[in-house]
Amino acid sequence: MPSRTLSSLKHAILVLTLVTLAAACGGKRPPALATAAPGEGGDPQAGAGAGQQQPTETIPEGPDVRSIQGEGASGADIPGSGLTSEGGPLADIRFLYDSSALTDEARGTLEKHALWLQGQRGSSVVIEGHCDERGTTEYNLALGEQRARTTREYLVGLGVDAARLRVVSYGKERLLDPGADEAAHARNRRAHFNVR
Amino acid sequence: MIEGAAPRFAVPECVPKRPDEASQAACRTLAQVLRADLRFEGLFQFVPDSLIGAIPPLDPTAPRFDDWKGIGAKILVATQAEVAGGELHVEVRVYFVDTGKSMLQRRYSGKADNPRTFAHQASDDIMTLTQYKGVAKTRIVFVSDRDAAKGRPSKELYIADYDGFNPRRVTVNGSLNILPAWRPDGAALAYVSYRQGSPMIYLAKIFEGQAVANLSGERGDGQSFSPTFSPDGKSFAFASNRSGNMDVFVANADGSQPKRLTTTQAKDTAPCFSPTGQEITFTSDRSGTPQLWQMDNEGLNVRRLTSGSGNWNDGCAWNPKYSEIAYTARLESGGFDIAIVDLATRQVRQITQGRGSCEYPAWAPNGRHLVFSCERGRRWELTISDRDGRSMQVLATGPGNNVQPDWGP
Repeated sequence: MPSRTLSSLKHAILVLTLVTLAAACGGKRPPALATAAPGEGGDPQAGAGAGQQQPTETIPEGPDVRSIQGEGASGADIPGSGLTSEGGPLADIRFLYDSSALTDEARGTLEKHALWLQGQRGSSVVIEGHCDERGTTEYNLALGEQRARTTREYLVGLGVDAARLRVVSYGKERLLDPGADEAAHARNRRAHFNVR
Repeated sequence: MIEGAAPRFAVPECVPKRPDEASQAACRTLAQVLRADLRFEGLFQFVPDSLIGAIPPLDPTAPRFDDWKGIGAKILVATQAEVAGGELHVEVRVYFVDTGKSMLQRRYSGKADNPRTFAHQASDDIMTLTQYKGVAKTRIVFVSDRDAAKGRPSKELYIADYDGFNPRRVTVNGSLNILPAWRPDGAALAYVSYRQGSPMIYLAKIFEGQAVANLSGERGDGQSFSPTFSPDGKSFAFASNRSGNMDVFVANADGSQPKRLTTTQAKDTAPCFSPTGQEITFTSDRSGTPQLWQMDNEGLNVRRLTSGSGNWNDGCAWNPKYSEIAYTARLESGGFDIAIVDLATRQVRQITQGRGSCEYPAWAPNGRHLVFSCERGRRWELTISDRDGRSMQVLATGPGNNVQPDWGP
């Protein structure tokens, strides 16, 4: 079950009333602060406020962000998605660093998977593309997408109905092995098969 | 005259208008936060506390300017505060020491539970005396696994004040929620959530507590990533695999009229807009390794931006005020660092060095600082730097891995 805990974010809306005091400099514009760094246009607000009677201003402030209601109610993962990266009837296949090409070993595994899937006509599979932790978040999401898609295309080529196969990229967002050595990286560079 | 040099500020202790502990405590927080806010802006020098302690205590309404001149102050910031009936009342006076003239006088009143907010407001008001807009009231959205349960590696969105204080959780669905991007009006966030299985873009209206699902209108197997709004807030760019592989798209802010901008078979992703909204920079591996490329917002006039330095350049963030782009680069060392390319000279300057792996830069609205995430000791934490990488500070936003920041208004 997803965590439905609505973290309590009750913060009263802090209203700052901003009142210009009767200013001592009697209506004259204050000297603007000169600063060393060039490059930006002047702020039209610069110097405003002092010396003028401003109307009272109400500023809705700061801690008025609430938890997004409805998310807790609507938030349901595909059961088991990404949670049981080990196990399941179909073993993970692995990839080389920064590559979505299928290794000979991966092809062999996928041929067994295809046979198994031919005998399980009612099942569908979510193919998850995962990456190791090296490289940027965005690029790894694209790489994971490419790995999952390449895997699906190979299974379709082996006769598995494309409609039974969905792809989801997790990039480096759900590492299987939290380690930082090459063995951990290799375990993380995978396509995982979530059979439903 | 104070031209040509950073003016020297004196920000003495706040003077409580009542002797009670609540007023004194509020006063202490106020002065401490106001000093930190003004110092953060990086525009001013400050008279050391030891010198301030050597002269008679401040009379906030009638300062003895000769005393302050004597210790080298150019600008004097005098604060007073009192807590009465659960309300905090603060008065801030800013004086030009040489002439004794008042530059700014403000009174703030509000609930007493968060004095930091008063200091942030005062700092931003003082910054109106400069040519820059202050950042003390700005907020940073980020992703954290701090509330993940065992066996359920969820990531949620959080919003903190620019200084890392006051983190508030935004999403509560226990799934993966990543890649947040502020709408320029500060009232909504676009982000990617896996809560319906496939990663799709959602829009969180943070003041209404509502979320719009599948903003980019993916169907079937479609997945979308990396939303980013145009500076006018009227459109957003994103990456989607709906055309068979990852490409950059742009759509109206409500998701209507999506348009494919890149057409290669390579991975095209991670778009960012120029300050005018006319140009889009993005990451593509069409040349072999991930590099930054540029195009106009119609997808035309495509050219490569990064070259030479770094065999991996990704995750652009276009400075809203200066002609430069921050990004994540893998340089000679093999680790990932934050770099900035000057668009006029094409000179690249490295911002981080030897801090572990750093990625995902985002600019402050005034373009003077940037925030990103660095991994040190197997933990990711938000870090803020100025444009030169000279001043760097880790943000204490709370436990867990804190990544993928975006700096909002």
